[in-house]
Amino acid sequence: MTVDLIGVGKSYAGTAALSDITLSFGRGVTGLLGPNGAGKTTLLRIVATSIAADRGRVRLLGGDPHASHAELTQVRRGLGYLPQELGYPGDMTTYGFVEYVAVLKEWNDRRARQREVRRVLELVGLADLAGKRVAKLSGGQRRRVGLAQALLGDPRLLVLDEPTTGLDPAQRATLRRTLSVVAHEATVLLSTHQTEDVAALCERVVVLAAGQVRFDGTVVDLVATAAGRVWLTDHDVPDAAVTWRTGTGRHRVVGGSPPPGAESAEPTLEDAYLLMLGADAAVSALPA
Amino acid sequence: MQSTLPTTGHGTLVAMVAIEARRFARHPLFLLGALVALVLQPLVSGVGDPFASDVLAWPIIPAFFIGLPSLVVAALLTRSTEAASEAMGTAPGSEARRTLAVAGAAVVPFTVGLLWLAELFAIVSIKGVHPHELWFGTMDDLHVWGILLALGPVACLGGALLGVLAGRWLTFRGAPAVVVVALVAVDIGAQIGTMGEDIVAHHASGDLGVRARLLAPWALWHSGGLPDGRASVGGGDPVWYLFYLLALCALAVGGAAWHDRTARTPRLRLTLYAVIGVAVTFLALAVFAGPEAGTVSEPVPFKVEG
Repeated sequence: MTVDLIGVGKSYAGTAALSDITLSFGRGVTGLLGPNGAGKTTLLRIVATSIAADRGRVRLLGGDPHASHAELTQVRRGLGYLPQELGYPGDMTTYGFVEYVAVLKEWNDRRARQREVRRVLELVGLADLAGKRVAKLSGGQRRRVGLAQALLGDPRLLVLDEPTTGLDPAQRATLRRTLSVVAHEATVLLSTHQTEDVAALCERVVVLAAGQVRFDGTVVDLVATAAGRVWLTDHDVPDAAVTWRTGTGRHRVVGGSPPPGAESAEPTLEDAYLLMLGADAAVSALPA
Repeated sequence: MQSTLPTTGHGTLVAMVAIEARRFARHPLFLLGALVALVLQPLVSGVGDPFASDVLAWPIIPAFFIGLPSLVVAALLTRSTEAASEAMGTAPGSEARRTLAVAGAAVVPFTVGLLWLAELFAIVSIKGVHPHELWFGTMDDLHVWGILLALGPVACLGGALLGVLAGRWLTFRGAPAVVVVALVAVDIGAQIGTMGEDIVAHHASGDLGVRARLLAPWALWHSGGLPDGRASVGGGDPVWYLFYLLALCALAVGGAAWHDRTARTPRLRLTLYAVIGVAVTFLALAVFAGPEAGTVSEPVPFKVEG
């Protein structure tokens, strides 16, 4: 396994962000779902070696990042990380920033480095904006710059914290294509609020809530938990977990008792997620 | 396909220094300061005078227009890459290596400082100096080199390295400007007792208080021209002072690297202690090993007022 977490815990100022997490990840794409404050970012930061766990054991790419600085460096050589929030030096161009990270990732040969930078910029669709200052890019474009630096060197472990934030549907489709190629050889962990991205990309999904694992399995299995619990009806249903009026004028009802005259609907990953997390998910599903 | 390449730490640092040096050289603040310094120097050389005068006072130009802006630029560059610290922090290159890279970029202001020095020599060779001028021939040649290098190119270098130190440790808004003001205040404060109308008398007195000015990271050596046509250079040894400043430069780099907890090895700790010891030794030599009394020139006729 590329990633092994055993009994991992992390607290901030006495509050447990992660409690006794035991998970393993191998090749392929795994999605992390969960409401705000569930511990997704904390988990990803631990896997990305940005922070250390307070408890438990962490093994990444066959090494223990806490054993020594040399072993940490060795692990980081196989790692690519896109943080949830990524700032950029104001004076750097798209190309300059990615090149800088390439140097940090020890691409010392100038020509090889330039080829690699161009390759990843091409991969994320930013080749035409290489000379533009990052500060002048749109939010979605900056997110793609962040993704480009994470993809440098074809890392064996790719950790992406909300990679689709700010991306339009076409850009998300491009990202999905990119990740589907990368995932053949790498372990990809991504967190997102977009359940359709998880459904489209991930073989496996882990649902976190309040620092604990609520579900760990395939996307198909998670969706199956909502079978027979989703309906379409003409009226609002008060005791449903979540209900909303769709564009067709009918109400989609998730959870609760089947209302009279309701017809059963094919559940989606989002429905299963909302059912699993109940009120927590409902609050986080509300528009900001 | 795995496209990572074999790695070497040294090669990484060189590549990083190259990137940071390009960023430094392109910074508008640095470019403006360098341009002003190089344009201003011929103007202060005494446009209407028959000779170049008070040459040993000219290093204030690169110190002010290159050294101080370089402090700000270096601090900004050091802090700017930390905007992406979470992504960069998980790359193999450490914070200390990034610090060393920006410190390495200080070669840019140092080089421009050398360019300024070359311009100074060009002006002096064209205009010539009066036989009474405090310069090569009227002073110990090594002392002249010491003053020019310490207060010119090394001041440019030191300003940038102090900026790296400030950029690592001081993260509040406006910190670089505060450090500039503090540096100027310390320099003036260290020399305040040697200034004013009696500066020549102060320099000639051999008073320890005059040589104590050498504690400052940019100490005034030349008095500037006086109304009676004389000028003076303060007591102390400029060559040891130059080495003292270089030791302070090394200390700034070490102090900046110290910010990275993973870099706080026993070797770095010992190195810092050693550099502190060396700096104190050089300072002591600058104050006590050189001439106690300063050098006072004969009056330069064309500078006599009235």
